[in-house]
Amino acid sequence: MNRDLTAEELERYADGEIEPGEVVEMEQHLLQCARCSADALRIMQMKRSLREVMSDEVPSATLRERVRRQFTRSRPQWWMAAAAAVVAVAFVTFLATRTSSAIPELVDMHVTLLASANPVDVVSTDKHTVKPWFEGRLPFTVPVPDLSSTPFRLIGGRVVYWRGNPAAYLLISKASHRISVFVFRDDMAPRNLGEVPATITATAWHTNGLTFVAVAQVPAQDLQQLRSAFASGP
Amino acid sequence: MSVELLRMTDGEDATFEDLAMPLFASLYRYARSLADDPAEAEDLVQETYLKGLRGFGSFAQGTNFRAWMFRILRNTFLTSRSGLRAVPPLSLDDESVEVHVIDPVTPEAILMQRLNRDSLRRAIDRLPLAFREVLLLCDVENMSYKEIAETLSIPIGTVTSRLIRARQKVRDLIVSEGS
Repeated sequence: MNRDLTAEELERYADGEIEPGEVVEMEQHLLQCARCSADALRIMQMKRSLREVMSDEVPSATLRERVRRQFTRSRPQWWMAAAAAVVAVAFVTFLATRTSSAIPELVDMHVTLLASANPVDVVSTDKHTVKPWFEGRLPFTVPVPDLSSTPFRLIGGRVVYWRGNPAAYLLISKASHRISVFVFRDDMAPRNLGEVPATITATAWHTNGLTFVAVAQVPAQDLQQLRSAFASGP
Repeated sequence: MSVELLRMTDGEDATFEDLAMPLFASLYRYARSLADDPAEAEDLVQETYLKGLRGFGSFAQGTNFRAWMFRILRNTFLTSRSGLRAVPPLSLDDESVEVHVIDPVTPEAILMQRLNRDSLRRAIDRLPLAFREVLLLCDVENMSYKEIAETLSIPIGTVTSRLIRARQKVRDLIVSEGS
């Protein structure tokens, strides 16, 4: 490509909307052209800043409960399950009166990121690429395990925000399943994990001042195995 | 905190609740980007779930559920009183847009220097609604252009041009505030 990228091409590139046939030529140009690569970087910085600021809005536990009540009401034979419903509502209300639960929001993030065109900002199976990528982006070191002798494969990572604080997000695959691992510094970690939706598996653990929460749609033993891989260290 | 949580996979068909609740935080963020008032955004979300629940029988399985829910929320907003007031006064669908992204003073540089989230927040608040929502869907919700087009019922080309113009507008607002 012997010309600068157009504004539209740069935006599409930053948004991950480049056609497969265009990618190679475009990336070769970006490697050679300081002007275009600086422009692409600016757009990515803008996207990141917008994401951080616009992610600030967090729904209240009260609203979640209002919405859930609609489902309870709509069930045709709800009166038959009255006792169970009372217990469930009491349980949810109990949770809501404590700090709001983390798992539903982490599951939201897991689902949203997996559905996105660009779930990770650094794409690499190599922990020596992903771990340093977080340096300077997070106020703590992210322990990225060596998964080479496990059935898991590192796909990449990104920074996510939890209640205004940065956290690491690692995307890991096992066969066709994808697993989200959120890594928080303890003082920025969710206090109350709460209930897990029926179709989701999650596990959490704590080590060396960091809290890990893994979320996926895989059997529970897979997450235990992944947890052991993290525990065996880098 | 060494916690063993949790469970569990079951083989039942997904219900509306199974599909819709994971979208809860995203729908709320979208509602907040449309409605100025948090209470109104909460009502919008609640009404969206109610309409979705009632209309779930007509949802075509295999099509994009997230886009369907976002579209319900958007239509609910647009037919509300504040939605009718918020109809954009600009012509936003001009696809022949050509914006040069290179500025002598880059807004990103100003942002980096000041580390000032407030100025970006103010710029976002001052954006026309059609720009704000397209940025939210792309940059926060990570929707593809195709999914955004489906959600907003506009052509993909319009999504592209609207995103370019929206980001340019954010830059302009930040630069004008910074100069």
